[in-house]
Amino acid sequence: MEMRELANSPGEWLKGTGSASDVVISSRIRLARNLVQFPFLSRASDEQKRRILEIIRDHLADIPVTSKLTFVDLTKTDPIDRSLLVERHLISRELADGDWPRGAAFAETETMSVMINEEDHLRTQVLRSGLELADTWHQIDQIDDALEEKLDFAFSAQLGYLTACPTNVGTGIRVSVMLHLPALVISREIEKVFQAVTKVNLAVRGLYGEGTQASGDFYQISNQRTLGKSEMQIIENIESVVPRIVEYEKIARDKLLVENRPALEDRVWRAYGQLRAARTISSEETLHLLSAVRLGVNVGLITDLSIASINQLLIHTQPAHLQELRGEPLDPEERNVERATYIRSRLTNGKQ
Amino acid sequence: MPPILCQVCKKNIATVHLTEIIKGKKREIHLCEECAGKKGVAFKSHQFSISDLLSGLANTQAAQEIAKMSQIKCPICGLSYLDFRQHGRLGCATDYTVFKEGLMGLLEKIHGSTEHMGKIPASSGETREISKELLELRQELKRAVEKEDYEKAAGLRDRIRELEEGGHGDA
Repeated sequence: MEMRELANSPGEWLKGTGSASDVVISSRIRLARNLVQFPFLSRASDEQKRRILEIIRDHLADIPVTSKLTFVDLTKTDPIDRSLLVERHLISRELADGDWPRGAAFAETETMSVMINEEDHLRTQVLRSGLELADTWHQIDQIDDALEEKLDFAFSAQLGYLTACPTNVGTGIRVSVMLHLPALVISREIEKVFQAVTKVNLAVRGLYGEGTQASGDFYQISNQRTLGKSEMQIIENIESVVPRIVEYEKIARDKLLVENRPALEDRVWRAYGQLRAARTISSEETLHLLSAVRLGVNVGLITDLSIASINQLLIHTQPAHLQELRGEPLDPEERNVERATYIRSRLTNGKQ
Repeated sequence: MPPILCQVCKKNIATVHLTEIIKGKKREIHLCEECAGKKGVAFKSHQFSISDLLSGLANTQAAQEIAKMSQIKCPICGLSYLDFRQHGRLGCATDYTVFKEGLMGLLEKIHGSTEHMGKIPASSGETREISKELLELRQELKRAVEKEDYEKAAGLRDRIRELEEGGHGDA
């Protein structure tokens, strides 16, 4: 699959389907694994990193569940293409920005990707639209089983899968759910959610995971503990919390509609109007406005737009996507103009 | 002066009272004999200030543990324990064994546990020597005990013994 094709494609996990998809954008599970015969990344030589890359790449090609993945050697990929993969949530910013032998592989549907030589030798992830953790786990567990038939992972009976960072040891699992919580932000109840979530050992992060700020009312909730609980227990913990947050967000939306309808309508329609009228717009402002429009669609104020097209705009208006679509590097000001043009073209044709 | 509890263990009555003056500010610390004894070396060598002690038990434990373990280096990857504490990343799988003493407290703090209860690979690393089935049974036993299901636990224990004696060998 070509990068340009990727930039144009909708991305399966953005289609706005799955359980509770009016609030839950996506479910993601990743597993961290290391090959037993090599040191972890921080102590591996470039030669060893190249070997790790080759071994994992060859095995991915060998195994039926991963043989159709598109493999990308990131040392031979230009920065915009690498950023594109980050914006698509297929690889991390750290992997994209690295300067050592490293790679990635992803499925055409983008529901699955593999990072090679990130913080650990191998990080596999499965991504789904909506709240679909059980399914997501089932799929990644099967992939992991298949990989394990060929690869020898560092494992200890007491500590489980051994990872470069002790925060991932044991199951090596990170389960995260991306939520859109505009009504809880408007009604200033979001802090209560954070507190409740932290109490059950879950973390709250921004749109692009670790170290990123939440923007446009998008939040990621993920497990912090990886040791001492089974994968299913970790998943069940998140699965028991998320529906309550979803419920809480829906109550807040209803309350806004009943008690503050003119203010809510004004916010939603102004945002929609600005997006359709703007001639230059930053990605920060875009996220903010798209969040209001998404809320407007969810509560039935806007009826000529689908959630899928808003989800896609969230990703397609990011810097690397715009540059990929234009086919040339753009400076921030040029990007803002390009972004506004792109958004107008997508929002003024009516239904997507 | 009414009895004061030791600021480190918060259990015993403090019998050692120290005063330190830093930048004109007076700070007092109260310790029981046992905890003062443990810190004794530190006071003499001036390796740890009162602020280190006051910043809590976790920190002083970490400081002590780092001091004790700073000499240790992994023979496989060459990482020192000090490097690990500075950068937070381990160098190879063997580090988990070499730095075990320091790591266990850290893992307990991060995860609230030091025992894997999740997936076991069919044949990787230590599962070469210990069978996957045996490891799974041990996890199940732990869960049964946690749930106080002793009948199930007894059954599991017998099954584990059988396996262990049956040549599957738990070294």
